[in-house]
Amino acid sequence: MTSRRARAARGAAVATLAAFVLLPRNSVAQDTTAAGALVSKALELEGTGKHRDAVIAWREVIAAGAVQPGVLGLERVFSMLGQEDSLLVPLDTLLPRFPRELALRSAQLRTLATLGRDAEARAAFVAWRDLAPRDVTPYREFARVLLFNNRAAAADTVLREAESALGSTRALTLEIAQMRSALGLWKESAVAWREAMRDQPYFESATVFALTPTPPALRDAVRAELAMKGTPLGATQALALLELAWGSARSGWQVLSALPPSDTTVAIWREFANEAERVRAHATARDALTAIHAARPDAAVALRAAQSALLADDAASALRLARDAATRLDSTRAISEAMPLEMDALARLGRASEAEQVLARATPVIGEEGVRGYARSIAWAWIRAGDIDRARAALKDAPIAADDAVSGWLALFEGDLKTARAALRHSDAPGQDAVSAMALLNRTREDRAPAIGSAFLALARADSSQAAQRFEAVARDLPDAAPLLLAIAARIETARHDDKRALALWQRVAAEHAEAPEAPEAYLEWSRGLRRAGDIPGARERLEHLILTYPRSALVPQARRELDALPRATTSE
Amino acid sequence: MTARAGTRPASTILIAFALALTGGAQPLHAQHLLVPMDDSQTNHLKAYGVTFGALVDGVRSEWLLNYRGGSFLLPDTPGLRRAAALAGVSFDALDGAMLGAIRQEVAEGNMDAVPLEKAPRIAVYTPPDAPPWDDAVTLALTYAGIAYTSIWDDSVMTTDLSQYDWIHLHHEDFTGQQNKLYLGFRDAPWFVQARDRDLATARRHGLADVPALKKTVADRLRAFVERGGFLFAMCGATETLELAIGGLGVDIAGPFSDGSPMDPDADSKMDWGRTFAIKDARLEQGAGVNAMSDIDGHQVNVPSRRQQLGTFTLFGFSAKFDPVATMLVQDHRTVINDYYGVTTSFVRRVLKPSVTVLAHEEGSPWVKYVHGSYGRGSFTFLGGHDPEDPQHNIGAPPTDLALHPNSPGYRLILNNVLFPAAKKKPLKT
Repeated sequence: MTSRRARAARGAAVATLAAFVLLPRNSVAQDTTAAGALVSKALELEGTGKHRDAVIAWREVIAAGAVQPGVLGLERVFSMLGQEDSLLVPLDTLLPRFPRELALRSAQLRTLATLGRDAEARAAFVAWRDLAPRDVTPYREFARVLLFNNRAAAADTVLREAESALGSTRALTLEIAQMRSALGLWKESAVAWREAMRDQPYFESATVFALTPTPPALRDAVRAELAMKGTPLGATQALALLELAWGSARSGWQVLSALPPSDTTVAIWREFANEAERVRAHATARDALTAIHAARPDAAVALRAAQSALLADDAASALRLARDAATRLDSTRAISEAMPLEMDALARLGRASEAEQVLARATPVIGEEGVRGYARSIAWAWIRAGDIDRARAALKDAPIAADDAVSGWLALFEGDLKTARAALRHSDAPGQDAVSAMALLNRTREDRAPAIGSAFLALARADSSQAAQRFEAVARDLPDAAPLLLAIAARIETARHDDKRALALWQRVAAEHAEAPEAPEAYLEWSRGLRRAGDIPGARERLEHLILTYPRSALVPQARRELDALPRATTSE
Repeated sequence: MTARAGTRPASTILIAFALALTGGAQPLHAQHLLVPMDDSQTNHLKAYGVTFGALVDGVRSEWLLNYRGGSFLLPDTPGLRRAAALAGVSFDALDGAMLGAIRQEVAEGNMDAVPLEKAPRIAVYTPPDAPPWDDAVTLALTYAGIAYTSIWDDSVMTTDLSQYDWIHLHHEDFTGQQNKLYLGFRDAPWFVQARDRDLATARRHGLADVPALKKTVADRLRAFVERGGFLFAMCGATETLELAIGGLGVDIAGPFSDGSPMDPDADSKMDWGRTFAIKDARLEQGAGVNAMSDIDGHQVNVPSRRQQLGTFTLFGFSAKFDPVATMLVQDHRTVINDYYGVTTSFVRRVLKPSVTVLAHEEGSPWVKYVHGSYGRGSFTFLGGHDPEDPQHNIGAPPTDLALHPNSPGYRLILNNVLFPAAKKKPLKT
């Protein structure tokens, strides 16, 4: 490791030892008063980048008897100067005087390994080992140095020697785990980490760091090792966090949710929930926070759970959690912290009357100004309920911006596509309805289409049957968006499990709009429908058509996978 | 509206596809298609399937050994363009001048163009109930879209194997000891089922026990090669096939399999003159030791002997003078991560001098991949079980080759599938 960056990294690693080595130690006596002043001076020179002066100062520290800080100081400074080998000179003098000194031996191994002087590093290790053949420390230090230098295979050799010489590697489980991760032995590494955590349960973060790069194909093997019966709690926690890191948040929570509630379990759940919130696994965060709240009821946790539920588009859970939190808070905090979530949930659920009642009860506290602040939520609730007039009425005394999503939806329901287009442009409302609406408004050039509004209104009222029929019907009137409208209708029918209707709509998209962006999706869904009906040749034909006709479609890799998965004929005798 | 009504005429589709695929940069119809097999290839494994498919359809092609990772040269036909597009295999369209330049480059370097004439008839020796992912070859063949026939003991015992050009052996234990899995799985339903199945087969053919059956099967496979067949074996099939052939008249099975202990003088009674690649190996006498012999360098199932995995290096051969060995090592990587199997490697000491080593682990006493001639046929042994599952354990999830379309290890398997298709050329002297 000779680059400046590498030296800096190594210098930083060595610096972490500074606090340790500045403490007086029995084995290397020092005049702490005199040496302390010299150490301060050397650190100051080092800190201001005067490395050459710092070399002299650290030598003075050593001369004053503070050998450990002096050597480690020299190691850092020489590293910054790119003169790592210069440390070997004082070490040659000091090691005969302090042959069992861990800091000096480790510095020697680090330096020789960094310089790539493998044979000398090996000899230094052997010399140290022979001083105390039953001591695990030389093996551990040398293995760590080799691992730090990305020499996992060499570290493996040292650890095997330790096993042979000491009869056990129990004291080296951490190094073995690191070594196996570095060698890409993922399953074996998981075993070693699991065993390391039997005595040192706080290694779950290190485990996650080491095992996160496990290739997808090998993750099941890692899962099996960390989920084995009787594994320490740290391993279970590590597995859950690994699942989060691998994008399988739901699986991570399944691992932890089975634990019986206790103070320890709740602490682990909290850490998991924090991480789930951080990676925006909202539904999982909701479940973890809900479990914490059930085990140790806490209004703040319930509010976080409600927020996660809203982000996960689960308004029903959010409502329940917000109301539960409100019962644990005083009335002022309930109104300021729980009621906004409750109102948001009611609005999304389309329970407008209920939302109005909640608001009415809070009016004495929040006043008319506060009520106007909720006008948008009330309007949104009426929109979700499909009552446009009452939505407009709710906004009468509290006009909202023209580019507000509520304005956009109101315009869309009334068929005013131009206004809707402008207002929904920046909408971040979740849900498939919003995606479909945005796609439609971007596709058609029409400015007015009441039939479109009627279709979206049916969707808002959760009347999916009517919605699908209306989207299909309006496709005739809006030729520039016809394939999209048919695709929306087909998706709704698929969600309703009406395969026959969905298939007919996908066939229309494929047949009548072969150049449209929806055509590859139509062929894919058409193929799936045929496969479900047992028509394998038909399914194969549609997939092949998709791949050949739309080679640049993002659906081609998926089509190839589904093509491969179709039954093939092989003969047997 | 019927399903077919939505489909455009094939010619329209192909033109649209070709335009879209090539972005207009490649000619719509060239004279040849070059399927590069270097790092530019998007799906190396399916490229073999496309080439094999061409041979099945009677379309001759060429294997450009050592040219861009062992590329394939195919005639430019709509059918082949379609097959390549469906498989996600990338290709370059070549006109006459471009092909001429390539041929000149091939002629001047350590490269050669080998004609591929006829799709080999492939049989895979595998149990009737084995899923494709239980065996790397069936996995590779299935993923690449190469058709094969499954054969098992009854077929080997009763049918004429010369109807096949190429036989691959599932990781079977031809010593009849079921890979000594009775040590850990004697009560597992799948183990009991397999044992009962094999015993019933043995009795059907008038043989006393499973070792007798498997040794007879091994000898018929030996005869298949002797008469001109190609044999490819991986994992434990390599080692146990050799032991079964060499120990045809010797009791080399432990008491669990045939009721009698192994002949204590079995080593001295082995007939190594009959085997393909191995000589002077020592049999494992311990019934409780999960190893068959000292052929394997890694001994994965014996903890005290187990060796760590490293990497193995493919040898380079002269394409013009040694085309068979060159075909077998065509790859876009020369150094490949090793992977365990019941038999992972072959110790050099036990290899016959006539064997060609195709890949070895540098500095180790073992090799990974060997080839040789036997009678009028030839054999190839590749150690290890699954190139993309280095630790492969019983019950491990199946390898999804869609995640490894560029696997250099799996390419070695598919090289073996294709090389029997090569037209034999007289050696240049």
